[in-house]
Amino acid sequence: MIGPAINFTFDGRCLTARPGQTLAAALLDNGIKLIGRSFKYHRPRGILSAGVEEPNALVTVGSGGRTEPNTRATDLFVYEGMVATSQNRWPTLSSDVGAALQLVSRALPAGFYYKTFFGPPGLWLFYEKFIRRAAGLGPAPTRIDPDQYAQRAAFCDVLVVGGGPAGLLAARDAVRSGKTVILAEQDAVLAPSLLRDPQEIDGQPGSEWAAIVADEVRASGGKVLTRTSASGLWDDQFICLSEKLVEPGQVPENGFTQRYWHVRAGEVVLATGAIERPLTFANNDRPGVMLSQAVRTYVNRFGVVPGKRVVVATTGDDAYLTAQALKAAGAEVVVLDSRAAPAGQDSGLEVHNHAAPLTAIGGKYGVTRLVAEIGGDERSFDCDLIAMSGGFTPVVHLHMQAGGKLDWDEAAQAFVPGTSRWNVRSVGLAAQPSPAEAVGAAGNTKQAFVDFQNDVTVADLDLAWREGYRSVEHLKRYTTLGMATDQGKTSNMAALDRIARREGMAVPEAGLTTFRPPYTPVSLGALAGLATGEHAQPTRRPALYDLHAAKNPIWLNAGYWKRPRAYPLGSESLAQAGLREARAVRSAAGMCDVSTLAKFEVQGPDAVQFLERVCQTTAGKLAVGRGRYTFMAREDGLVFDDGTVWRLGEARYLLTSSTGGASRMETWLSYVRHKLCGDLRVSVVPVQEHYAAIAVAGPNSSAIIATLTKAEAPRHMSVVERTIAETPVLVMAASFSGERAFEVHFDASHAQTVWRAIEAAGCCPYGLEAMELLRIEKGHMVVGPDIDGRLTAEDLGLGRMVNKAGGWIGQSALHRPAFADPLRKQFVGLEALDGGSIPEGSMLVGLAGAEAEGHVTGSGLRVIEGGSIAIGHLKGGQARHGEEMWASSPTRRLKVRVRVTSPHFYDPAGERYRD
Amino acid sequence: MTELCIEPLSRAPLYVLELWGDPKPAAKRIAKALGHDLPKAGRAHGLVLRTGPATWLVEGDLTELRAALGEGGALTPTGGGYAQVRISGPRWRSLLMEGGLFDAESAAFAVDSVVTTPIDHVTVTLRVESESACLAYVPASLADDLLRFWRISAGGLPR
Repeated sequence: MIGPAINFTFDGRCLTARPGQTLAAALLDNGIKLIGRSFKYHRPRGILSAGVEEPNALVTVGSGGRTEPNTRATDLFVYEGMVATSQNRWPTLSSDVGAALQLVSRALPAGFYYKTFFGPPGLWLFYEKFIRRAAGLGPAPTRIDPDQYAQRAAFCDVLVVGGGPAGLLAARDAVRSGKTVILAEQDAVLAPSLLRDPQEIDGQPGSEWAAIVADEVRASGGKVLTRTSASGLWDDQFICLSEKLVEPGQVPENGFTQRYWHVRAGEVVLATGAIERPLTFANNDRPGVMLSQAVRTYVNRFGVVPGKRVVVATTGDDAYLTAQALKAAGAEVVVLDSRAAPAGQDSGLEVHNHAAPLTAIGGKYGVTRLVAEIGGDERSFDCDLIAMSGGFTPVVHLHMQAGGKLDWDEAAQAFVPGTSRWNVRSVGLAAQPSPAEAVGAAGNTKQAFVDFQNDVTVADLDLAWREGYRSVEHLKRYTTLGMATDQGKTSNMAALDRIARREGMAVPEAGLTTFRPPYTPVSLGALAGLATGEHAQPTRRPALYDLHAAKNPIWLNAGYWKRPRAYPLGSESLAQAGLREARAVRSAAGMCDVSTLAKFEVQGPDAVQFLERVCQTTAGKLAVGRGRYTFMAREDGLVFDDGTVWRLGEARYLLTSSTGGASRMETWLSYVRHKLCGDLRVSVVPVQEHYAAIAVAGPNSSAIIATLTKAEAPRHMSVVERTIAETPVLVMAASFSGERAFEVHFDASHAQTVWRAIEAAGCCPYGLEAMELLRIEKGHMVVGPDIDGRLTAEDLGLGRMVNKAGGWIGQSALHRPAFADPLRKQFVGLEALDGGSIPEGSMLVGLAGAEAEGHVTGSGLRVIEGGSIAIGHLKGGQARHGEEMWASSPTRRLKVRVRVTSPHFYDPAGERYRD
Repeated sequence: MTELCIEPLSRAPLYVLELWGDPKPAAKRIAKALGHDLPKAGRAHGLVLRTGPATWLVEGDLTELRAALGEGGALTPTGGGYAQVRISGPRWRSLLMEGGLFDAESAAFAVDSVVTTPIDHVTVTLRVESESACLAYVPASLADDLLRFWRISAGGLPR
């Protein structure tokens, strides 16, 4: 650790770190052991571990939008200017008012939440503010994250998770057998365990050997990623890696702070190591009580000796390495070993066998003494550090996420990876943990913590067990064990051991909770990638987008499309603008961008057969140059979309359908074309975006089209080829407004030219708000609220248009008896009787009834005369014209008396369609 | 050459060629007219890209192709719906790994390879023009979004 000191702050205190130190190491180096307060009881907490399993030392790091709460100080490398603050305390870490909860901890046992927060729903409004304030430890940032997160795909033959010696060896073997390799290591350096326990490999110092192997991987075309955690493993070796490009809260050089990798690997090698288990004794959560291997890491890797008088309590051999490291660093060391003394062992240390810690004694700044039981006698040891080792739990999370099985390793008292469902194998300590003796809890169980982060004690587990919680899954949820951000990495095995002891069974019989991604917390930003803010979802811009934008419209996100809802003039509201535009259509002429309609060119000798399979109306009878309204049903006979079909040539048709259903229709037509009608000689090509389209509607539209095209306008439901502003166009006479109207379709590359020409001819642009008013008044349905996939053509009042010759998809399903039910919902109109608008989405209830018999699908008003009208679905509605009902919306406290009518409020005879 | 150049091209007439029934006779006639076979799955030849089991994207003069096609299939104009973007420079493959799920870095994705794949949720057809350039056919409505995505992503590619 060579280099200049790094300046950082912790709770506003200016401190320095040495290069390469984690925040935890730097704080210990500065003599700081109190790092945070526990979640429930606000107990003082220090540093337990030296890795991602850390449950105690959580801090908030960074400032402004870069603030990251609940960051593990053990997994955060100090950088110049870093700002870290402790959490879950007020007003200060050392003088935390919440610590008073420790005095009433007896009143806050396991299940406290469930036993307390019940009663009348209204009380929740009272509870909620306290619960929300208590939840979450560090506060979420309130400002927008200024940085960016990349998402990237990667492919390899072998993905090695874990860059320790076992992972590096696996990577090297794979490279030497000609495979491409990605190696991911969550630490900032490869083989961090070789910094903790230096050793030579292949005649090289460990860290140099690791660098050589990494170079070999890179030279073969592979990737070596540090600060990269494998967050989840799914079917077929699909694995997600979360790579920190800079430390949390740090300003990135190129704007990117993290990269989220989606890796597809031929094989996954899990060299994920093992996590040391704490021992359960009273006050085992105090600052100054640490995991043995973590202590060794701080001494050997970070050059920090966390204590001068140390008790090492262990159930296995590994802790002796810690004791030796501490001794070499000048500390006084006593070892308490739960096992009998092996014959002839002389470690050069003061070792007590058959020994177990009972109670740690100390305050918020650290421990001062340990009371232990040695061969049945109690004995006290003065100390400022307790290093504990309860054995090792292999990191099997990814193995389990991928559907693997676990085997029980009696010698290690741990689950180890068994069979794998996918091509996943575990190596190193993840597969073969060190042996350890099983040791139960000791001391006062109410102070003996199992889950440090959620403040779950041995007594809590016992209480849950006494209250009948036997399933480990139930017990987990009742006590919240393993449900904190650390996901129980240091607690689950101790809890299983306790449950097994209470049940009188072996640990494997006690069961196991589910391992779910992510292994370590993943920033939401990494999951979002660049899809944030206004880019949270794709935005589809129609070809005329720039022209619309220049008019500063009120936009509507219609699916992913950005469409003008209205073009307000001056201070007009949406409603005022919409009504003005609709009246322009009724009285003169309006123009609307309908480019987003789904469109399909259908060509070929068998085009008619294809269309008559897809559409419930005829197509074969259309003459060239004619079109018609049509609708489509699924195999179940229910209508799911509608549109128009136009015969452009002998064997060439244009089929249009709804904007919102465009993708679904494309999939459907492809399915019909290739699966149901594979033998037809027909081509079906989606041309939604190729053709821009402008609707020109109103009594003046016919004259405008004639002027622009220098030819007579086509009659209703006819199509002609013309030019407008020297641009070839298709002019289709069709109306969605109730007025004489045309749709002008043309190559979208010329969209602006055509729009400008039509606008200059005297058309008023109108948006979707006006379109809604016009089409509701006319009784035209839209896909979604009106055509919702639950009604037949008969229900929708379209029965007379159905192709009587049959052959269309869904025909056979209509013979089901349910479709003959006279109380099926049917499409109706509604008019308000007492003024006021009819609430959209409201229920239709009989004047004397209480049961909803239908609902309002669209609400509007008579464009010229005024008066509230609506359309909706009503049971047996076609036979109930004239009946009065309530349109009721209890959640909005709205209730309007309505009369059921025909849905065609405007020009029911269709006379205005024709010149 | 700069490491990465993302260049929207001007719109070009583009057609979908779809063959129906037994495609062999029509394909044979077309091959004669074009002077080469219609490209196989995942491949392009000249201005013709295979995009589906019996569909190709075709650019350029269609006179001979139309004559050769006869009753064996259809040509449908579609150019108004696509924006074409050329991504060139040594790192174009790396850029296409961002926000995608296709292995653009694979040696199998060689010159004249064609693939249709989602990138940043947008379905894009890619054609490898040369070792240093790739042409992307992007739905016109989503082109602005995808160009933004590529331009931002280009600044953060891994080394």
